[in-house]
Amino acid sequence: MLGEPDFADDMLALFAARAAPRLDIPVIQPADPFLDMAGEDLRRRIFLTESETGQSLCLRPEFTIPVCMRHIAVNSGTPKRYAYLGQVFRQRRDGGNEFFQSGIEDLGNADIAAADARAVSDAADTLSMVLPGASLTIVLGDQTVFEAVVAALGLPGGWQTRLIRAFGDRDMLDTLMRSLSEPTGRVAGLDDQLAELARNGDADALTDHLETHMRTTGYLSQTSRTPVEIANRLIAKTQLADAHLDDRALAVLKDFLALEARLSDAPTALRDFAAKAGLDLDVALAGFDARVSALRESDRDVAAMHYRAAFGRPLDYYTGLVFEIASDGAVLAGGGRYDQLLTLLGATSAIPAVGFSLWLDRIDQARERGAAI
Amino acid sequence: MSITIALPSKGRMKEDALAIFARAGLEITSVGHDRSYRGRIDGEDSVDIAFLSASEIARELGHGGVDLGITGEDLVREDLADADQKVTFCARLGFGKADVVVAVPQVWIDVDSMADLGDVASEFRSRHGRRLRIATKYWRLTQRFFSAQHGIQVYRIVESLGATEGAPASGQADIIVDITSTGSTLKANHLKILSDGIILRSQACLVRSDVSDRPADDLGTLNGVIDRLTRAL
Repeated sequence: MLGEPDFADDMLALFAARAAPRLDIPVIQPADPFLDMAGEDLRRRIFLTESETGQSLCLRPEFTIPVCMRHIAVNSGTPKRYAYLGQVFRQRRDGGNEFFQSGIEDLGNADIAAADARAVSDAADTLSMVLPGASLTIVLGDQTVFEAVVAALGLPGGWQTRLIRAFGDRDMLDTLMRSLSEPTGRVAGLDDQLAELARNGDADALTDHLETHMRTTGYLSQTSRTPVEIANRLIAKTQLADAHLDDRALAVLKDFLALEARLSDAPTALRDFAAKAGLDLDVALAGFDARVSALRESDRDVAAMHYRAAFGRPLDYYTGLVFEIASDGAVLAGGGRYDQLLTLLGATSAIPAVGFSLWLDRIDQARERGAAI
Repeated sequence: MSITIALPSKGRMKEDALAIFARAGLEITSVGHDRSYRGRIDGEDSVDIAFLSASEIARELGHGGVDLGITGEDLVREDLADADQKVTFCARLGFGKADVVVAVPQVWIDVDSMADLGDVASEFRSRHGRRLRIATKYWRLTQRFFSAQHGIQVYRIVESLGATEGAPASGQADIIVDITSTGSTLKANHLKILSDGIILRSQACLVRSDVSDRPADDLGTLNGVIDRLTRAL
């Protein structure tokens, strides 16, 4: 699909009617923000070039990051909604390398539950408009609940971070849980003296040692990890060397990840899970319930939506809600909350953010299939 | 018809490659003068020898510009996407041995494994306001090892075309991915290899290009040369 799809204007009209005017985003973008946010793995998939002055440029691989950057530059103080529609450029194994996406980014709205519900509603209504009569499957997940489970289990900080980092990638998470179930024993790669200092938690002596080492070897101690940071992490790691994820914690995590329910039943299912596991998840579940209520209040059929506890995205700027809308097995919309993203992009204050994007080429194919029937 | 074999154009790699051909009874002579970049095998009129740089050999094998070549496995795997679909490694030749490794400053005494490095990388941005930086010329190998094998996504690669081992001390990067044979250069620069940080144990290989179909007589010539070389090892 090279031209704008014929339903583009209808979509933009719907977005505008929902207080999300279109923002035009240049096709050529600085590449660094994308690589910084999504990681180097993206490099293989984007179309990179270099300016005459050596700046890395790329064809926009998506809209969220440039929309957020524009918001920071122009409107960072005020909540605002933006819509976009246009081509994005990414190398894909299947499907073309240039395809259309549209979507809404809702930036700065402090009413988290309402903004979440609105994002799901906007995405679902847009799809219903362009695919009349199609049956849509809506699946939701919530990173906050997983984080609360991990925190309530009282796991060490380092393990919590690792588990949260792997959340959304089931293989990685399973590998990690297996490796955490085995104690590492002693900390490898240390001489006796340093091991002793680490066991005694002597951060000052370790820091002194590291500072001396850096001075004598000509390492700059300000440009990268500092002696204090290294000493503290070594002590934390030493304290964990004999610990392992016990059977109970492992069972609780597995139970949680296996949880699936109709969204209408999910609040009760999660409360039952928390009671059975003996975990205090009240704060996270209050947020979850508020979102379900907000969806009900905007007349969504929450009994027709699915909650999957293991559903998440393993990128560090996603924070709460994630959702997908599919039809006939094809994912047509994906969205979620990314409260960390604007801070990572340089916003000076925290800006809550939620949004979604639609795959217009897949929608177009679904429309053709629908027309053929 | 004829086939083209690419050999390293200089240094130890060239000498060692020529020695293997000699042992197989395939004497290579330069065409024209001594420093020529073309050669032939005595008595084998249907074989052209091209002397190329080791990374050019990898690239030429990848798009079928040459039929057979001797070059480092690291270069083939770095320069070609899906190397195993484009070339066959017919033999490991026992020279040009070097490992592609992940090395961090020795002073990072808390970092011994890729799992440690994953922790450090994930917290790097919040502690230092930027992603962890890796100096390397091995973009592809680094990405595959970090992202696909160890699930580490958040880092940035700083391109380094020489003296990579100096990048951490000078502050251009935090860690490196580089090639090492004895590890002495790393040690001299106060770097250590992570316990599970060997990405690839590389050496010079006899590599066949598989991207284009060959006429039967060329195929016969090619298989004959490969056969003689592997039996001489």
